[in-house]
Amino acid sequence: MGFFRFIAFSVVRAWQGFWRNAMMSLATTATVVLMLVLLSGLYIVISGLNSGLEFIESKVGVTAQLVDNLPQASLERLISDAQQLPGVKAVNYVSPAEAMERLKAVYRARGQELNLGDQTLQKISIYASLEIQLADPKAADSVATALGDRPEVVQITTKQDEVDKLVGIINVIRTVGIVAIALVGLTVLFMIVNTIRIAVYSRSGEIEIMRLVGASDSFIRWPFILEGILCGLIGALIAIGLVAVVWDPIQPVMFDVFKLPVAVGARFLATLSALLLAVGLAVGAIGSWISVRSYLTA
Amino acid sequence: MSVMTGPMATDDLESAGLFVSAQPSVEPVISMVDAGVTYPNGKTALADVNVTIPRGDFVFLVGASGAGKTTFIRLLIREVLPTSGRVVVAGRDLLRVRRRDIPRLRRRIGIVFQDFRLLPAKTVYENVAFALEVTGASGGEIRRRVPMLLNLVGLHLHGEHLSTQLSGGEQQRVAIARALVHDPAILIADEPTGNLDPVTSWEIIQLLIQINALGTTVLMATHNQEIVNAMRRRVLALEGGMLVRDEPEAAYEREY
Repeated sequence: MGFFRFIAFSVVRAWQGFWRNAMMSLATTATVVLMLVLLSGLYIVISGLNSGLEFIESKVGVTAQLVDNLPQASLERLISDAQQLPGVKAVNYVSPAEAMERLKAVYRARGQELNLGDQTLQKISIYASLEIQLADPKAADSVATALGDRPEVVQITTKQDEVDKLVGIINVIRTVGIVAIALVGLTVLFMIVNTIRIAVYSRSGEIEIMRLVGASDSFIRWPFILEGILCGLIGALIAIGLVAVVWDPIQPVMFDVFKLPVAVGARFLATLSALLLAVGLAVGAIGSWISVRSYLTA
Repeated sequence: MSVMTGPMATDDLESAGLFVSAQPSVEPVISMVDAGVTYPNGKTALADVNVTIPRGDFVFLVGASGAGKTTFIRLLIREVLPTSGRVVVAGRDLLRVRRRDIPRLRRRIGIVFQDFRLLPAKTVYENVAFALEVTGASGGEIRRRVPMLLNLVGLHLHGEHLSTQLSGGEQQRVAIARALVHDPAILIADEPTGNLDPVTSWEIIQLLIQINALGTTVLMATHNQEIVNAMRRRVLALEGGMLVRDEPEAAYEREY
């Protein structure tokens, strides 16, 4: 009962405190929203790029173009050898006819028809190949080297360049984003510290009386800490609301940018909401804790 | 001068269950042995004070400004610690009280000031209830105790007034009611009549006497010679941080 009364007392006082200095509290909440919207943007972009990366990595890791008319026995030996290589998940044989079908499908997708007349597949450089999926993308180089030395193989292509490029982009965006959010986060922290400092000063009379009549430290401190948490909580709820509202409109844009249906689904939205809530509450709690520690000295 | 009758008879309050824990006992409520306070800036505010105040006493603390009265009071409520000697208040050795136990100690001490220190945005009732609320009292306890205390100080009809709507004397009564919420062993009054006219001052003194009669020890710091001389109670006089006089049934100034 006593604990429940303490919680009720602290929450009510925090709520009153929030609205007592409404301008300051709302300005602080707005900075929390700004920070969390930035964080959402970064999270969405990084998630998109990461799924793009996974997609590329999950596709063919290494492609080995084969010599023409490879005997069935040699082909089978090559496939079985390739499967033995470390880091290889699956080996898939693509016949020239299959490759041709894929090419036609690409054209059809563009709304065109591929017409090669009576030319043979070899003349237009359609070859049989092995598509090798990797369990470990880092194995791409060793697999490429091992297969490249085989006489059955004409040429090796890997997706490593694309992967490297994408990893580079992700790292840059992540670094820039984290630095930007850290800077905004510091501003937010400063705002919260200041808001709570003003709240402490505006209640100095009450605090003095509380001390004199024997209120415990928790009764004196927690309302202010909760007031800071309230700024974070309200900011987080607004940010989550904003993300939910713009969610549907940004889906096609994301698809255009990443060429992939990335980051969709309620689960992603729930994860993002939880992240925003956690960060909002944490920054509110840390800021008000700093303020109470510095300005509410015993 | 006339002696005013209190707003509520002592018997009524006792039968109402107020101040049950403030029964007289042998143990002193305040005991200082060679107590001294030297502030970090090197100024000695109190030195070698030896005083024992038994439960139920009514004591005046007198002395010129800067004589050490404020430090004496701050010491009792453990706002400052003794830098020498030993101070025991309400059975607790102040040097041994842990930080988290200070609130509990302060509930054993009620204090009122010259400037009342009420919360202007709150009503009379709320000002008294606040002191219970912030110490975790239940709603039932607040509803039971606050009217009883307002009755004691004669303000039971003013509960809904804002404290700023009251006269100085009435505000001081609210402050006294608030100081008594936890049924303290001692009530410290720091110049309680400093801002009041003579008639109102006497009303406050009468209230303090009534509270004292119920068993609460009262320590009153004052410059009011007329009151001290008329009351003939125990007087502690401070001068330059030293206790220069401790006399029963005494006057404001030394009489010999």
